[in-house]
Amino acid sequence: MTDFSKMSRRDFLGFTGKAGLATLVASAVGTSFGMVQVAEAAGNARLTPFRFAILTDAHLYDIPDHKFDGILQKAVEDINAMNPPPDFVVYLGDIAQSGKRAELEKGRRILAKLKVPLKVIPGEHDWYLDMGKAWRDMYGSPTWSFDHKGVHFIGMNSILVRDFWTLKSLTPDERMGFMEELECHQCGLWGVRDEQLDWLKKDIKKLKPDTPVVVFTHSPLWDYYPRWNFQTEDAPQIREILSGFERVMAFHGHVHQVVYNRIGNLSSVGTLSTSWPWPYPGVELPFPGIRMNRVDPGDILDGLGTQYIDLEKEFSGVLHYQTWSDLLPEGVKKGVKL
Amino acid sequence: MKLNTKSRFIAFTTAAVAVTSLGLFVTGPAEARKPFTQDELAAQYKELLDTVKQGDELWHSAKLGKNGLACANCHPDAAAANPHTFPKFQPNLGQVIPLRDMINWCIQVPLEGQALDANSREMKALEAYAFYMHRGFKLKPGENTRQHPPVEVRSGPGYP
Ligand code: HEC
Ligand SMILES: [Fe+2]
Ligand SMILES: [Fe+2]
Repeated sequence: MTDFSKMSRRDFLGFTGKAGLATLVASAVGTSFGMVQVAEAAGNARLTPFRFAILTDAHLYDIPDHKFDGILQKAVEDINAMNPPPDFVVYLGDIAQSGKRAELEKGRRILAKLKVPLKVIPGEHDWYLDMGKAWRDMYGSPTWSFDHKGVHFIGMNSILVRDFWTLKSLTPDERMGFMEELECHQCGLWGVRDEQLDWLKKDIKKLKPDTPVVVFTHSPLWDYYPRWNFQTEDAPQIREILSGFERVMAFHGHVHQVVYNRIGNLSSVGTLSTSWPWPYPGVELPFPGIRMNRVDPGDILDGLGTQYIDLEKEFSGVLHYQTWSDLLPEGVKKGVKL
Repeated sequence: MKLNTKSRFIAFTTAAVAVTSLGLFVTGPAEARKPFTQDELAAQYKELLDTVKQGDELWHSAKLGKNGLACANCHPDAAAANPHTFPKFQPNLGQVIPLRDMINWCIQVPLEGQALDANSREMKALEAYAFYMHRGFKLKPGENTRQHPPVEVRSGPGYP
């Protein structure tokens, strides 16, 4: 488990680069509150620095006392124990394994123990048994945005496939069974589709180009490995719509691994799950240094984790992966600069 | 599956004759036999692919374990199963093991299930699937330093 008291603020600052001397002095004093004030005093701030956390891919089964229940619980406790705490938590999809209401309910009960607000988007495992009915009953619209301390946050449902079940007369269980497989060869590519693209255009219309924008989707907004839907079919359109902003930070679930990419003005970061790690697919990583180590299959917590992001006033930031094992190469341990 | 001992024997002798003709072998069978016909070869390959398919189904099935998980949860397309690196020393077992022992270990630990009989139909099928998804790979017995992706699959299950 990451011990925050042992984590040097200097490591963190080393990676943010732009942090500046004033901030360094503040951090040496050791109070993050002080740091925020100094940073604001320096002027030119686009946002008030703050922290948020990401939890994702718990894949809960409708089996009592399943091992994944305990791991999600542990992740929630870790986030509750963070100091300073995150302002909120975003959950990036796949609460359930088989889309069952009971699985989603179990997830909601565990996530309800979070002491800070929670925002949620769906993953394919939450959706294809009842086409998102149970999920929507609990979390409402999968497409949302809100503003927080100067940052515009956007969540979208990126797991929409073309209908592959009607022609084949598949039952909801059969449809879900196909979607549960990462390498499903009937399901086709995922995307956010036209309705959400239109929504996105409207949503960002009034924002100035220097507005800090953060986007959450279940799947990556770039073509990583389409075979496993490590992609979003209409990501090029999304990136085009967001291309007017100075910079955009994107975070995704689904890949259950450390991965990073940067395309144009958009940086895209993958996140650790609380269920199982996926191996790397047979393609070269765009940033090979930002990856995780091999996993020990004998340790059920290896390969798993949570993450938090510290945003700085000029809309730079660092993502920290928090693991319960020796999973991260040295460079990644210090955090990933966004 | 039919066991056709005769054609197996022929396969062996044919190969041996080929080697003899290159002068690599001093002793060999006295007599050349006809190689397999195209039909025979096709039938044999179909047997293999049927076994691979059974392995694929088991690989994606929760019935090997007790906690709902399948091998494919963590090994999509048999990734990171690294069959071509066996036999090798497995620290968690403290000895050199063949692939089937690691398959059984993963059934017992991540899947919380019962080990399969090493000679069972199911084990042979799981092995066939894992190996087939790594066809063409160089054998690297003992390699314990890398995780390998499987053969590149663009569409379909990864085999004909
Ligand atoms: C919860 C996740 C999980 C499940 C489920 C799982 N495994 Fe594994 N398995 C792992 C991990 C992690 C490794 C180590 C991967 C690595 O070496 O990078 C591993 C390693 C292996 C290896 C050895 C690879 C090597 O080079 O040492 C084999 C073979 C294997 N698994 C087969 C299976 C089979 C067959 C099943 C289904 C019965 C299965 N696994 C289910 C997580 C899992
Ligand atoms: Fe997932
Ligand atoms: Fe997913």
